[in-house]
Amino acid sequence: MKISGSLIATIFTSAVLFTACTKTPIENPEPVEQEVITTIRLVVTNSSGFNKTFNYKVLNDLNFVDEVVLAPSTEYDVEIKVLNESLTPTEDITEEVLAESNDHLFVLESNPATGAGAISFTDGSKDADGNPLNQKLKFTTGEAGNGVLTVTLKHEPTNKNAGTAGAAGGETDAEASFTVKLQ
Amino acid sequence: MILSTTVMRYILLPILLCMSWVIPARAQQHCSLNINILVVETHNAQPLYPVVVHVDELKATYETNEKGRVSIDSLCPGKYTFHFHAAGYEHYAEQVTISGSTELKFKLSHIEGHLDEVTIADEREQTLLQAKDKMDRQQITANSGKTLGDMLQAVNGVSVIANGATIAKPVIHGMHSNRIVMLNNGVRQEDQQWGGEHAPNIDPFLANNLEVIKGAASVKYGTDAIGGVVLVEPAPLRARPGTDAELNLAGLSNNRMGVASGVVNHNFKAIPALSFRVQGTYKKGGNYRIPGYWAANTGVEENNYSAAAAWRKQHFGTEIFYSRFNTDLGVYRGAHTGNEADKLAAVNSDTPLVPADFTYELKRPRQHVEHDLAKAKMYFDSKLGVWHATYAYQHNFRQEYDVQRVETDDAQLNLTLNTQTVNLNLEHRAFGELKGEVGVDGIFQENFIQPGDRVFLPNYRSKGAAAYLIERYKISNWTIEGGLRYDYRWYEAFNPEGSNQQVVRYEYSFKNLSGTLGATKRVSNNWQLSTILSNAWRAPQANELFSAGLHHGAARIELGNKNLEPERSYNLNIESKNQFGSKLSTELSLYTQYIQNYIYLEPGADVLTIRGYFKTFNYRQTDAHLTGADVSAMYRWNDQLKTNFKGSVLFARNTTAKDWLILMPADRLSLNTTYTKDISRKLQECYLGLDTRYVFNQWRIPSNFDVIDYPRPPAGYFLADVAVGTKLLAGSQPLYISLTVMNIFNQKYRDYLDAFRYFIDQPGTNVVLRLRVPITFNNSKNHNNEDIRIINSDHIH
Repeated sequence: MKISGSLIATIFTSAVLFTACTKTPIENPEPVEQEVITTIRLVVTNSSGFNKTFNYKVLNDLNFVDEVVLAPSTEYDVEIKVLNESLTPTEDITEEVLAESNDHLFVLESNPATGAGAISFTDGSKDADGNPLNQKLKFTTGEAGNGVLTVTLKHEPTNKNAGTAGAAGGETDAEASFTVKLQ
Repeated sequence: MILSTTVMRYILLPILLCMSWVIPARAQQHCSLNINILVVETHNAQPLYPVVVHVDELKATYETNEKGRVSIDSLCPGKYTFHFHAAGYEHYAEQVTISGSTELKFKLSHIEGHLDEVTIADEREQTLLQAKDKMDRQQITANSGKTLGDMLQAVNGVSVIANGATIAKPVIHGMHSNRIVMLNNGVRQEDQQWGGEHAPNIDPFLANNLEVIKGAASVKYGTDAIGGVVLVEPAPLRARPGTDAELNLAGLSNNRMGVASGVVNHNFKAIPALSFRVQGTYKKGGNYRIPGYWAANTGVEENNYSAAAAWRKQHFGTEIFYSRFNTDLGVYRGAHTGNEADKLAAVNSDTPLVPADFTYELKRPRQHVEHDLAKAKMYFDSKLGVWHATYAYQHNFRQEYDVQRVETDDAQLNLTLNTQTVNLNLEHRAFGELKGEVGVDGIFQENFIQPGDRVFLPNYRSKGAAAYLIERYKISNWTIEGGLRYDYRWYEAFNPEGSNQQVVRYEYSFKNLSGTLGATKRVSNNWQLSTILSNAWRAPQANELFSAGLHHGAARIELGNKNLEPERSYNLNIESKNQFGSKLSTELSLYTQYIQNYIYLEPGADVLTIRGYFKTFNYRQTDAHLTGADVSAMYRWNDQLKTNFKGSVLFARNTTAKDWLILMPADRLSLNTTYTKDISRKLQECYLGLDTRYVFNQWRIPSNFDVIDYPRPPAGYFLADVAVGTKLLAGSQPLYISLTVMNIFNQKYRDYLDAFRYFIDQPGTNVVLRLRVPITFNNSKNHNNEDIRIINSDHIH
């Protein structure tokens, strides 16, 4: 059976032409950054009418951190909120955290742990299984002074009773570092 | 000094007498030469059976076995005339001078015009004169259940880069991912191979042969063939009428994995030109076991199938092939860490941070990959030579399911890569001793994500064309090869950039000239020496150009570099194959490769995000120089016992920084001994094997290692495997059974090139039971009387 050169050329060309017929959305990639957290917000109140929010926000490569200014030797009620402020309206991620409370943990650390500028943490809220979650808790401030407060949101921690982010294990979803002034 | 008669009588004479006793013994040793004969069909290299082999000088007749092989022992050096008789084939005779134990290959041609004769045209890939190694079907099925990357470690000079035991890719002379090319049934495999966590989407059961070309081979294979090429070659379709099948089963204890693979081949008696094959594999395993623990979420499920059909006449033929590869792979739950501190916490823990029991269930994070390959091929003879035209379409769909806060069914990455390749090539007719091929390649490729996927790679479209010429010339005992190739590649990429993810279009192209020049000399019957000088290139990948963010699960930020130039490598290989007497054979391969514009990740500043601190890495270029050696030796103690030794070393330098290159495989040694014996009529080819290997600690690390990576490369480790097997005859049906115990000491170890070394140990002991059942249906045999004709042949290894 003789194969003509023109037959070859036809097969070759049609193969190449076939490749040109595509209707794929290559020109318009629409990726979405997943599970964005921009802000850790502390809503601090107490029975004496104190009501303030302190934000740790990272948005568009810019950091916005509020200094936590509280009175010394005072008790406060604190609620931690997790937000995505890159969207309008702001997405409240705290609801998702509460819905999957067993898989999350807020770890709060104060440096120093006691004394001037320190904050101690009590009465942290629990998850669905009765283990620590700490989305709502009480701050008890120490004597007047300066300190650092770190709030870490952990996903699937390995030790829910840990006092430090490192010991808690799991993945860090957010890590907020606030300077503290007790005055 | 004059020797007194006393000395003569009492010292020299006894010595002479002893020598006269010794010398004839040595002469006897000379007649202990062993030759292994392989008889194949001229065009498609298919082993022929049964072939009657008659040797005039020995006045003896032998017959080849199902593999086309026959061995003749206790030969004295001298000239022998071999006669080959086989039904349907031209009679063939050849005189060969035997001076040492050797392997001989003879080719028989089909006789034209007979009813059941089908002359199959050349389907063999004509591989380059570059250093190469092969694994045959027996070695492949003896390792069934292993990933393709893991299986290839048996080849000297090849190691593995992995993400745990289930995601493994081959590393040839330190190069992997998109610095090597994988050829799946002659088609360049395009399956997102640039990713370190993207294992090859090829079913090893498709292969009759796994051939590894070690060294730069762009002249034939195009861009990316810097480290080498892996050729996954299926067997040619059945030529003789009838049906044959094979079933392979394996059970592996470590991850309670079951593997089943079957293939059926058929050639129609009524239409001798028509043949087909169907094949399928299923594999399922759960979490794998490391010493003391289960690795959470490391199961795997794979189902693959393929079909091929061919219609082949003497001067024209066509073949179509389709394969589907489907896999779901769990990724160790603890491997996808959060920030740098989370990763350090995992590294510093002696035990796996994520506890687990055994389960087959796959949770997040996991990968789902589908790969479709459709190929159509045609060949025809002409006055100029044999033309081949191939068209292939590949569709690769890779999904990554990440750990999410809120439960969802969606995958966070749905990446599609569609590739079409065309090849037209002419193996021109020999001009005296000059043989060669000239060809053109075309490629068209599109890569895109789904809307809503996480930020990953830009979408891109790519086109390429290439033309090449490779010529081989034989003169006396020299073979000389030269080749040239011109490549052109064009890309357009659509990259979302900035805070509002505005799409920016980029267009760029690359041109490259590659070449090869090599020579092989058969210095003697016992010594073959080769030298090859070749160059290769690689276009930068989209991730190297455009990455701008968190490398998912690797706890680091990677920043692309739009100014990257293609890598160009210049490679010199020297290889010596020697046979010493009848017992010892050795292979030494030395290589040195200079890579200009070698692309790698250089550490930058730490970046603070809301998730904490991450290291950043920037894609940079440098000049690299890789030098190494692969050495192997086989010693046959006697007919039953043989020992194999292998060693490989690699020195990889960043010549601009005058420092070692990061992430290069450590030196390794392996020693394997096998004892084979036929026990009874029913129990044949029984074997007992011990396989040991030692991988050294990789101390050749850059001086800034502690800035880039933590912890230091793991300690060296020693592993031992034991295997026992036999061929059991159940009536006339052969059954090949084997029991292998891998890592018999349940050694706790980590490997530098496994990304899971930060988190968990390598798998512990694995007991594997394998069964192979080759089935030949009662196919008719034709017997004709033919004329004797003496034809020239060439017998090459």
